[in-house]
Amino acid sequence: MSKSQDQQIDPNVSQVPGRTLGLAIMCLAILFVAVWMSFQSRQSESLGSAASSSSFEQEAITGFLNDAWFLPDEPLLGFVQIPAGPFTMGSNPALDRLAYENERWSSNRRQGTVEVDDFYIGLFEVTAAQFRAFTAENPDLANRVAADIQGDMPVTNIVWPEALAYARWLQQKLENSADTPAELRNYLAAGGQLSLPSEAEWEKAARGTDGRIFPWGNSPSKEFANYGSSTILAVGSRSCTECAFGLQDMSGNVWELTRSPLQPYPYNPNDDAQNLSEDALWVMRGGSFADGLGNVRAAVRGGVDPSVRNNTIGFRLVISKP
Amino acid sequence: MAISASTISSGSNNKQTHSSLGAFKFPFALSIALIILSFVPRVQGNVTLAWSFWGAAAGLLLWQAYLVFNSRNKNEDRVFSILLRPQHYIQAMVQFSVYAYWGYYWRPVYDHAWLILAQLIFAYTFDMLLAWSRRREYSLGFGPIPIILSINLFLWFRDDWFYMQFIMIAVGFMGKEYVRWNRDGRSSHIFNPSAFALGLFSLVLIATNTTDLTWGQEIASTLTLAPNIYTFLFLVGLVVMYFFSITLVAGMAAITLFGVSALYSAGTGVPYFLDSEIPAAVFLGLHLLITDPSTSPRTPLGKTFFGVLYGLGVFGLYTLLGAMGEPTFYDKLLVVPLLNLSVIAIDRTVRSIHSQALLNVWKESWLGGRSNLAHMSIWIVIFASMSFLGKTDGKHQGDSLPFWEQACASDLPNACGRMLQLEATYCGDNAAWACNELGAHYREGIIADANQELSMAYFSRGCELKFRASCLNLLDTDLVAREVPHELDLRLLLREGGQNLMTLSEQELYERACQHDWVFACENTEGARARI
Repeated sequence: MSKSQDQQIDPNVSQVPGRTLGLAIMCLAILFVAVWMSFQSRQSESLGSAASSSSFEQEAITGFLNDAWFLPDEPLLGFVQIPAGPFTMGSNPALDRLAYENERWSSNRRQGTVEVDDFYIGLFEVTAAQFRAFTAENPDLANRVAADIQGDMPVTNIVWPEALAYARWLQQKLENSADTPAELRNYLAAGGQLSLPSEAEWEKAARGTDGRIFPWGNSPSKEFANYGSSTILAVGSRSCTECAFGLQDMSGNVWELTRSPLQPYPYNPNDDAQNLSEDALWVMRGGSFADGLGNVRAAVRGGVDPSVRNNTIGFRLVISKP
Repeated sequence: MAISASTISSGSNNKQTHSSLGAFKFPFALSIALIILSFVPRVQGNVTLAWSFWGAAAGLLLWQAYLVFNSRNKNEDRVFSILLRPQHYIQAMVQFSVYAYWGYYWRPVYDHAWLILAQLIFAYTFDMLLAWSRRREYSLGFGPIPIILSINLFLWFRDDWFYMQFIMIAVGFMGKEYVRWNRDGRSSHIFNPSAFALGLFSLVLIATNTTDLTWGQEIASTLTLAPNIYTFLFLVGLVVMYFFSITLVAGMAAITLFGVSALYSAGTGVPYFLDSEIPAAVFLGLHLLITDPSTSPRTPLGKTFFGVLYGLGVFGLYTLLGAMGEPTFYDKLLVVPLLNLSVIAIDRTVRSIHSQALLNVWKESWLGGRSNLAHMSIWIVIFASMSFLGKTDGKHQGDSLPFWEQACASDLPNACGRMLQLEATYCGDNAAWACNELGAHYREGIIADANQELSMAYFSRGCELKFRASCLNLLDTDLVAREVPHELDLRLLLREGGQNLMTLSEQELYERACQHDWVFACENTEGARARI
């Protein structure tokens, strides 16, 4: 085509529309795009800040404090002190016929004795309401807990790093709150840290110092634990006054994450930073509602990949000194 | 390259004219085709995408209705003629071959095919209605195809934002129609239509910080997944150079970039670009984005200047965007409209040169008057030399993390920043080692400002990828645990811009790692053997 476009006008037509209107429409289109994109950008930012500033109204739950991140309405916000001292770790197959091989202490010893400093552990597993209070301030984790899950159910389907993130968040809250019980505040000020329990802390809290097989004793009982069933229950539903330190749901309901890597016994926390070339696999304890009796013993050791989300896995927190 | 319909010689044109209101059947059929296309599973998979199609089709149908009503009232005909130009279909074929080759190695390209088809339908209809709104005869040919293919080689909006893609195309065609100047006594469009749309939208995306609404970053970084992409682009570029005499523009742009990049490396000891002496997407751009004859200078010396300015512009914008913390892939897109604006000035400058000796160098005395072939020969020799020196498809230092670690430790310019940038890319690709390293840098605060939140985010990602050191770093905020890359990490880290090495045997993997300066891999028995 050798002629310019403006020269190619149909000769039958008397008047060609000017370019002004077209230019104006084009500029409007560009302006619309710029404004719309800017609006979208600000909206996504404000969504984030709205989430972070939101108090995230949740319904009150009996037995929990909705003005204290839904922690239990207990003297120490649901934390129970476990005194320092030794306990028996691992299983003795002569007494516990359901023991697995990985619970054996060493080739020549069935069980070991481990000294543990004093620490505090959650009376219950961390609940959906507690975790929601955390996610409401962290837009990246928004909707991590399904909306239809009751607030007093144990939180599940979270990965290991998220459980630790919750612990760090709660630590900040407890340290900065004037309402934190003095005993906890002092312990935190002395270097106490919220985290997942180590394997030893968890097992001592579950079986006490008398080497029992289950948290309540040596005989199986569905009265004290939710196992071999088809559904998760709200925390503390199977009240267990006989359990060591009065802790609830240490057996069954949901598996509980720990901060110990899955390594062969004998247990030695100094080994935790070794074998970095191996893939991470973390110990989980206590079994779940879906497990049989063998997996809800206090000494049972499961392994979980840190990226796994599962509706049978949750956690509880400890406050301990590293 | 988007070729202007208004300035191309019509020597080989095949022209046939159709007129009357019946001509409206054509855009009507295309609008219906757009609606039908919205029912393919690829489009139905996303509600916003489907509505984008329906919205675009509704807009086109309303516009047609208005034009029909207007034409009847004023008793006017609307006319189109069929006009097939080799400039358009050869360009389209070259671009199509790039899509076919690239898409073979990066599947989202093939998944995008339906959306490109929809854009073509939209572009034809829009262009036709725009011409008729201006009461101008419409030349129906292959013109819109290179424009659409050119846009899609650089920027796609994600499905949830696809209506922006239609608006971008509309702006491109409106720019061609309305933003014009008088050049050499003729009215012609100022901007390359695809570059105009890409440039404007790039500015908007940068200004509103919404780059993540597009596939721009992925497009720019996945071209190198296709093996020997530089050689491929060079070969298809020769086709364009042969037919349309754009060797001076593309060749000089490439030579300038190679040159300044080499100068920078010689001066600083580190490569300027990460993936090659010229990023693959820039190499693509200089063959297919800046070479529109109607928006580039006409004289040989002017074309030379144009190419040199493109090279310098990309080089400068890469630095500027990087310093602003913006995605650097916009460099090649932002510079073209600026160059289009300078065309008249370049032509005027060339004409003001009174040195016959200088001007005659570029006159058609080369190779018996076939100067383009002479220019092409020189370009072939230069590219072959660069390839021989490993500056194109070969291993590139800029991809090597051990190199940047060493450079950062030696405090070479920009080395630590580039290392962080590279590690962020690999972490994004799920290389756990890279995530852990990033977390460590932000925790230590030595080569990057300390940022506990960011470091925890990287450690969390590394931990979820089963990197045990990352998990330990999450447990103890005073700790910085490090570990050499695991096997899966190496399969990502050693791809260095190419395909992931998932099928490489473990022995070959460690041999390759050793060859790429990962010292720990050489300590592996097989790696040590490879080095000997």
